[in-house]
Amino acid sequence: MELVELPVPQPKANEAVVKLAASGVNFIDVYFREGRYKAATPFIPGQEGAGEVAAVGADVKSVKVGDRVAWTMVLGSYAQYAAVQADRLVPIPKGVSDQQAAATMLQGMTAHYLSHDTYPLKRGETALVHAAAGGVGLLLTQMAHNIGARVIATVSTEEKAKLAREAGADDVILYTQSDFEAETKRLMAGKGVDVVYDSVGRTTFEKGLNVLRPRGMMVLFGGSSGAVPPFDLIQLSQKGSLFVTRPSLANYVATRDELVVRSGAVFGMIAAGKLKLRIEHTYPLAEAQRAHQELEGRKTTGKLLLIPSL
Amino acid sequence: MKAIRVQHTGGPEVMELAEVAAPQPKATEALVKVKVAGVNSIDGWFRDGRLRTPLPFIPGQEGAGVVTETGPQAKVVKVGDRVAWSGTLGSYAEYVAAPEEHLVPVPSSISDEQAAAVMMHGLTAHYLVNDAHKLKAGETALVHAAAGGVGLLVVQMARAIGARVIGTASSEEKAQLAREAGADEVIVFTRQDFETEVKRLTDGKGVDVVYDGVGKATFEKNLNVMRLRGMLVIYGMSSGAVPPVDPAKLSEKGSLYMARTTLAHFTATRSELLARTGALFSMIEDGKLHVRIAKKYPLAEAAQAHRDMEARKVAGKLLLVP
Repeated sequence: MELVELPVPQPKANEAVVKLAASGVNFIDVYFREGRYKAATPFIPGQEGAGEVAAVGADVKSVKVGDRVAWTMVLGSYAQYAAVQADRLVPIPKGVSDQQAAATMLQGMTAHYLSHDTYPLKRGETALVHAAAGGVGLLLTQMAHNIGARVIATVSTEEKAKLAREAGADDVILYTQSDFEAETKRLMAGKGVDVVYDSVGRTTFEKGLNVLRPRGMMVLFGGSSGAVPPFDLIQLSQKGSLFVTRPSLANYVATRDELVVRSGAVFGMIAAGKLKLRIEHTYPLAEAQRAHQELEGRKTTGKLLLIPSL
Repeated sequence: MKAIRVQHTGGPEVMELAEVAAPQPKATEALVKVKVAGVNSIDGWFRDGRLRTPLPFIPGQEGAGVVTETGPQAKVVKVGDRVAWSGTLGSYAEYVAAPEEHLVPVPSSISDEQAAAVMMHGLTAHYLVNDAHKLKAGETALVHAAAGGVGLLVVQMARAIGARVIGTASSEEKAQLAREAGADEVIVFTRQDFETEVKRLTDGKGVDVVYDGVGKATFEKNLNVMRLRGMLVIYGMSSGAVPPVDPAKLSEKGSLYMARTTLAHFTATRSELLARTGALFSMIEDGKLHVRIAKKYPLAEAAQAHRDMEARKVAGKLLLVP
């Protein structure tokens, strides 16, 4: 990743050009940089941003110059300007800063669909949230707590345990010190949790099935420890007629309506003070390399942002 | 008493009619005079050894009859009660001893044949459309083997809810039965590719839910006929076990859900068992659920009943009448 001088993009008929105030740094950016996910080279990385509309294409009606907007899942946000299809841009309400908007488009909407749609948590239910101090984990824990569900969190260190507790986790398991399966069963008095939210994958999946109640739901939404290998369906019936899903954000913001409603719901939580974001690391554009090094080194907690104006 | 006995596992011929001592009810059991026993594919799995139980054994998991004796600590049922059950091995006999918690009362409006015929298939159909995926009016369900024992009941219940039903069946004759049960569309899968047809019938959108008791033969294509975030409920595997599944497929095909269910988890408590059977019997009383009895056999012809079941030529329920 090198800093270069390029012409400002011109909007196509259905696009808007946005002057970026902040760009989110995500693991998916690393995957594109490495080539694990393919994009035609050369390319500008970055899938998440917020800023002000600077120009619009001829057919664009949904936004106008000067609007504050945010987006995700469109490549090219590590820049001063990005051309984005107008139907992917959502308005940022008053009460939400550009940095907050950029920080929450991917992880915030992910936490939202997981807790509200993939398995709509209800008051009184119990969720096991793996990697609860991670980017999605901290937001998911807060949303689950706000719904009135009990949250059992897993984390790797005492420092992260503290973060998870502050986010509203009722119980925190340090999986480096105790077995999360045994510990969850103990905490649930043998009954099993209603849902497991798992972004860890390979190292947690099987044990996760063991801590679900009959007819419980395994939501596998990532694989930070590696991909879950193919599994025998008989496990699902033997362990209690279990449900499994492997969701991805794109399928939960598939229509313009759903994108606007979901981002609006997340922004509403931020504006109301019900969702706390941890924006702890900001970098000038020229230091994108350092941002990736720190993200990959897992030394950071909370959200990393590139700020072109720095 | 007369009973069917299996001394070693194998084909239908291993089921022999024998004279054996009637069982004695244990403390919380009841002895039931079996009026009708249901024949199910799971009985074949026990008979041929795919599912294991100590030998010798009396097959049969389902039936209806009258309580003739109760154990000293039985409180739920009394002598003379008409009852039905499933999940109790030993039903291919004149008498069976069953845990009283497994016995549900049969209302006077329901015949023994009807009760015995729905304890497995009917309860299964009921949890599929009400709990495994709570079907709503306006949704579309794909029901495989729609003229099968569970299938015909799922089709009727789905229609009663107001869902659109696309069924699959192996022959035109079975397709006709599925249509009579209320299927909006039936795909004869021996002549037409069900994936292509379902996509055509849903304008490429896919169905909300697939109810599948077939397993291996339908699995891969099932993943291609669901809408985004659709649900695949596998409740049986009549064509064989589905090979291990890569969960990444579920995201690639549109954030799909998948479940592998068994009846026991949907009748796990006494209250759930009673609520579910009660709902089922009400539907029969109200004429909303028609139970198709395909054929009745005397106990001595259990082997023939299994041959007919496994030849997949019958549509509807097979019963043994001691």
